[in-house]
Amino acid sequence: MKKKKVGLLASLLVVSAMFTGCSFSGSDSKTADSASGQTTSSAGSAKELKLYVENEIKDLDQWKASDDVSFTVLNNVNEGLYRLDLKNEPQPAMAEKADLSEDKLTYTFTLRDNAKWSDGTPVTAQDFKYAWLREMDPKTGTNGYSFIMTDYIVGAAEYAAGGSADQVGIEAKDDKTLVVKLTQPTPYFLRLTSLAPYFPMKEDFVKSKGEGYALGADSMLYNGPYTLSSVDAASGAVLVKNQGYWDAANVKVDKVDLKVIKEKSTALNAYKAGQLDRVLLASSDVNASKSDPGFGTGINFRTTYLQFNLKADGVSNINIRKALEFGFDSKLLADQVLNNGSKAATGLIPDVMSGIDGKSFRETQGDLVGVDAAKAKEYWDQGVKELGKAPKITMLVADTSEVKDVSTFMQSEYKKNLGIDVTIDTKTSKARGQLMDNSNYQMAITAWGADYDDAMTYLDLWANHTPYRGNYENADYDKLINGAKKETDEKKRLDMLLAAEKTLLNDDVVVVPIYFGGYSFLLNDRVQNLEYHPYGNPVDFKYSDVK
Amino acid sequence: MKRYIGIRIIYLLITLFIISTVTFFLMKALPGTPFDEEKLAQLPQEQKQMILTSYGLDKPVFTQYVNYIKNVAQGDLGTSFFYTGQKVTDIISGRLFPSALIGLQAVLLGLAIGMILGIVAAYRHNTGWDYATMIIAVLGVSIPNFVLAALLQYYVGLKWGLLPVAFWESYPSSILPSIALCVGVIALIARFVRTEMLEVLDQDYVMTAKAKGLGTIRIMFQHVIRNSLISVITILGPIVVNLLTGSLVIENIFGIPGIGSLFVDSIKMNDYSTIMGITLFYSAFYVLVMLIVDLLYGLVDPRIRLASGKG
Repeated sequence: MKKKKVGLLASLLVVSAMFTGCSFSGSDSKTADSASGQTTSSAGSAKELKLYVENEIKDLDQWKASDDVSFTVLNNVNEGLYRLDLKNEPQPAMAEKADLSEDKLTYTFTLRDNAKWSDGTPVTAQDFKYAWLREMDPKTGTNGYSFIMTDYIVGAAEYAAGGSADQVGIEAKDDKTLVVKLTQPTPYFLRLTSLAPYFPMKEDFVKSKGEGYALGADSMLYNGPYTLSSVDAASGAVLVKNQGYWDAANVKVDKVDLKVIKEKSTALNAYKAGQLDRVLLASSDVNASKSDPGFGTGINFRTTYLQFNLKADGVSNINIRKALEFGFDSKLLADQVLNNGSKAATGLIPDVMSGIDGKSFRETQGDLVGVDAAKAKEYWDQGVKELGKAPKITMLVADTSEVKDVSTFMQSEYKKNLGIDVTIDTKTSKARGQLMDNSNYQMAITAWGADYDDAMTYLDLWANHTPYRGNYENADYDKLINGAKKETDEKKRLDMLLAAEKTLLNDDVVVVPIYFGGYSFLLNDRVQNLEYHPYGNPVDFKYSDVK
Repeated sequence: MKRYIGIRIIYLLITLFIISTVTFFLMKALPGTPFDEEKLAQLPQEQKQMILTSYGLDKPVFTQYVNYIKNVAQGDLGTSFFYTGQKVTDIISGRLFPSALIGLQAVLLGLAIGMILGIVAAYRHNTGWDYATMIIAVLGVSIPNFVLAALLQYYVGLKWGLLPVAFWESYPSSILPSIALCVGVIALIARFVRTEMLEVLDQDYVMTAKAKGLGTIRIMFQHVIRNSLISVITILGPIVVNLLTGSLVIENIFGIPGIGSLFVDSIKMNDYSTIMGITLFYSAFYVLVMLIVDLLYGLVDPRIRLASGKG
C-alpha cells in the first residue's frame, strides 16, 4: 500500500515537473484585460497594437519565405531600399535617393548615413548585393520567388540557371552606393525594392548563425521600424519599436502584439472582448457589422479566374470557352455569395491598379467581361455544332471553402444559362496544382495576387507557355508583352498591355476573370493609419498611431 | 513482468518500423511538393529541379526512404519544409505541451465526473438520479465538442468575461478548451461505469458481502467499483491517446498552438519530415498507452496474468 502511494506521488511529481518546465506564450496573463474589455498595454503609457494573422508565421528567412504572414512580420522588422507609404507609393527608406540613367536601365541607389542594423553597424550596399544574389541562387533561395529579380536584373536569370554571379548586374561601388543594371526599363522597379526578397542581409551575421538563422528573435538582425522581441510560429510574435531605426521619431506605436488565429469567429470574439484592435469578417458577419463605426472594406490586387487548358477536349473550342465566359453573373456572386468586399471582375487587371495620367488601367480599358446569358447560349450551341456533340465540362477546384462556394455558384449559373451540368472536381491545393502542372485538367479555378502595382504582374504570366497557364501560345501576345517590357514611352507601353489583356480575354479566351479580391473588417476607433496594402508586403505598422 | 515489458518494447519497435514504412510511401504518393506551387509555376524547369535537388527530393523514393530510416535510427527526424530549418523534434516538443495539458485536464475531469455520475446512476438505479444522469450522458455524446467550444467561448469568455476568449497566454487559457473536450468523456465514462456496476451489483459475491453485514460504502469501493473498472480502463486507453494528441477543431477555435493542427497542416502542405515525425510520435504514444492499460488490468484484477498472455 505504501509503495502504491509513493508511486502515485512520484507520478504526480513527474507530471507537474513536465508542465512547469513548459511555458505559455505570453508571460503576463491578460485575463483581467480581456474580461474587462480594456485594451491598455501592460506598460501603461506605451502604445500597443493588438493584431493577428490567419496562419502560422512559418518562415522568417527571406530566401525561403513566400507567404503573406511571413512578409507581414519581415516587412516591419526589416526594410529595403524603398518602402510603400499609406498611398501605396514607394518612398525612400534604406536608400536616401535613387538616380535613373537616361536609358532607364541603370539605377544608382545612395544609402542613407543613418541606415543601421540593430547591432549598431551600418547597412551597406554589400548587404544588398549579398542578399539579392542568394535569393537568385536556387540552392539558397528556395521560395520560388527568384523571378521577382531574375526577370529584371542583367545576368540574373543566367545565374539562377547555374551561371556566374560575376555576370549579375549588381555592383556595390562603395558602402553607400549600389548600382543595379536592368535588362529592360521597369517603371515599377522602385516598388519592387520594397518587397521582402529585396531586403538586405548582413553576411557575417547570417554565416555566424548557420542553420539556426532566423529560427528565433535573437537569431536575426533588424533594420526596420521594429525588432522582434519574441516569436513563436504557431502562436504569434511581439514586435517592439526599434530605437536605432533611421526614422524612429515618426514611429508612434511602441509594441505590436501579433497573434495567430485561424478561425474568423474566434478572431471576432477576441475583437469584441477587446483582445484585438482589428478583425477580418467572415461573409456571414458582414451584414450584422455594417452599422459598426469601425466597419470598413479593402481590396487586394488578387484576381480569381477560370483557367482553360487549351489542349483539353471540349474547351479547346473557342465558342465553348466564350459560352463559359459569358454564362455566369459574377456581380451576383460577389454581392450575394461572397459578400466580403470582393467585387465582380470586369477584366483580369483589378480595379485601382495603376495606369497612366492618373487613370487606373481598368478605367482606361473599360469592362471586358460580364454576364450575357443569351450570347452565352448562342456560343454554346455554335460550339456544340462545331464539335458534333455537347462536351462534358469538368471544373477543377481547390478544397477551400471560398472556392467551393464560387464553383457551386458557377455550376448553378451554367445550368441555368446554358442548360449544362458542369462536374466539380475538388482536390487539395497541392493536388490541383500538380494536375494543372501536368496539363491534366479541362478548366480550373485559380488566382493570382499582384507582386507590384502594374498590369505586367498579371499579363506576363501567359507568356511562359506552361500547362499551368493553359498551354497558351500566341506569338502576337508574346510580342505585345516583350514589346511592353522594352518600351520606354509610357503611353505606347500601356497600349500594348491593354491590347494584351483584350487578346487574352476576348480574342483567345484563355482565362475568365471571376472576381477581384476584397475583405471587410472592423477596426478599433482608437487606431489610426493602419492601412493594408493591396499588393506586395501586406501592411506597415510604421505609420500607425493609437489614441 | 520484466520479460513481458521487454517483449512488448520489441513489438513496439517492429510496429513503428512498419508504420513508418507504410506512411513514408503513402506520403510520397501525395501530389505536389512542399513548396509554393503558385510561385514555382513561374520558374523555369531547371530552377525547379535545382530546388528539389537541394532538398534531396530528386532522388528515387526508395533511396529517400533508406536515408530517412538511417537518420531516424540515429534519432534524427530531420528538419521541417514548412517551418524552414526548424528541427521536427523541436517543433513537436513545442506543440506538445498545450495539447497535452488540455488533454490531460479533460481526461482527469472527464474521468472524475463520469465515474461519479456512473456510480450515482447505478446505485440509484431507475430513480430520478439515474434518469438525469443518463440524459446528461446522451447530451454529452450528442453535442459535438466544437459546438460546445463555441458556446463556451461566447458566453463564458465574451459575455461574462470570466475566462480568456482565446490565445495561449496563461493557465486560464487552458480551462475552456479542457471543459469543451471533457464533456464527451464524462458521458462515455458515466455510461460504461453505470452498465458495468449494474452487472456487478447482481453478482453473488456482492450479495454475500451484504449478508456478512459489510457497510454500503465498503461494499461499493472494495467490491463493486473496483470490479467495474476493467471496462473503464479498456476505453480509457484510446481516450487518453485521442485527447493528449490534440484536437484540430478545439485548437483552432481557441487559437491554441497544439499538435493536432500541426499534423493536419503538415499533411496539407506536404511537409514530409513533420508528417513522419508526428506519425512516429503518435504511434509510439499509442502503443505505450496500450501497454500501460494492459499493466493496469493486472493491478485492478490479479486474476489477469500478463506473462501467461491472458487478458
